[in-house]
Amino acid sequence: MIVADLSPQELLRRLGGAGLRLRTGPVLNRIQSRLPKIAHGVALHYADHAVEDSAGFADFHVRVAPPRSLRRWMNPQVHFQFDGARPFLPLPADQAFPILEWGLNWCVSSHCHQYLIVHAASVEKSGLALLLPGPPGSGKSTLCAGLVSRGWRLLSDELTLLDLGTGRVVPLPRPVSLKNASIDAIRRFSPGAVLSPPVHDTVKGSVAHMKPPTESVHRATETARPRWIVLPRYECGAAPRLAPLSRARAFMHLADHAFNYDVHGRRGFELLAQVVAGSDCFDFQYGALEDTIAVFDDAARRV
Amino acid sequence: MSSLPALRWRSMPTDAIAWREWDGEFVVRNERTGSTHLLGPLAGSVLQILLEGNGALSIADISAALGDHPAATAAPDRCAAIDAVLSEFKRLGLAEPDPR
Repeated sequence: MIVADLSPQELLRRLGGAGLRLRTGPVLNRIQSRLPKIAHGVALHYADHAVEDSAGFADFHVRVAPPRSLRRWMNPQVHFQFDGARPFLPLPADQAFPILEWGLNWCVSSHCHQYLIVHAASVEKSGLALLLPGPPGSGKSTLCAGLVSRGWRLLSDELTLLDLGTGRVVPLPRPVSLKNASIDAIRRFSPGAVLSPPVHDTVKGSVAHMKPPTESVHRATETARPRWIVLPRYECGAAPRLAPLSRARAFMHLADHAFNYDVHGRRGFELLAQVVAGSDCFDFQYGALEDTIAVFDDAARRV
Repeated sequence: MSSLPALRWRSMPTDAIAWREWDGEFVVRNERTGSTHLLGPLAGSVLQILLEGNGALSIADISAALGDHPAATAAPDRCAAIDAVLSEFKRLGLAEPDPR
């Protein structure tokens, strides 16, 4: 069963009751919330994701709820709860779906240490993964959204999971987080993309999420071999330019952008070395998506 | 602070250091500190020499082992460059002067 199989009433009933057991890649989340914005967001963005029925084990038990105070009524806010605890400060109520997404990211990056987790978008073609590590604002999510709109498979927008045994990317296809000017850029580039209405004045500016492509969700158990490591840098008006990057520098970049490199010690070093040794590495500057996708399609064709 | 030319140097034990080299650049993990470092061609080559060396080595020994390595010949003052690398290795816990 997938989320789209549930009627709106049934989705609300599960979210407001014992919880919606939502599978995202290797992770099973139990989500509870009585907020209509959460139900709308889940129905829109997770329509193709599997729902599990049983009351068995879930990796993460999360809830998005208003605080029990006057803030329920005056300038209403919402909390993200994890196992009953509140790891973050509350946010304005209209940020309910973004706080769920950020909270689910936090759950994975803080707990899924069976993987080496890199702050990177990743996409796949012909079984080969393109990793796009980078800090917020580098343009990795925009590039990721553009690529998946043109036939690349979404592996993850935010958290690239590397299997410690094989070095392969384990998919975690969830909504792509778009910010500020990239929201309209993706609307123009991919008019068929399913985007949520933007939420303004968040800590990241205006935020909208893009629904992951159905095929990417259906193929969430198919891992991919890292083949390219590309450090994107968005620069308004710049022509796309791919410049070789040394493997040693790519290694340091991945290590710097990994959430749990230190947790894994020598094993993490060996895994990143394996990933880098098998990849071509580049710096990539771009200013518009229109000319950009062909650069990566060409790279994929040449392999 | 500059090290004395007469000092002899040894790296940390080989099992305390993991490293990879690609195209003359090195990444090195120090198991004792948990830190990972990016080393350029000269520093990486000096570390390799220390790791493969049989006992402690002086700057002159290291310089001789480097031979006509491009990274060494590019340095205007080879001994000063090696000395600077060793001082940095001491700071990072990758090598230390031999007490004997």
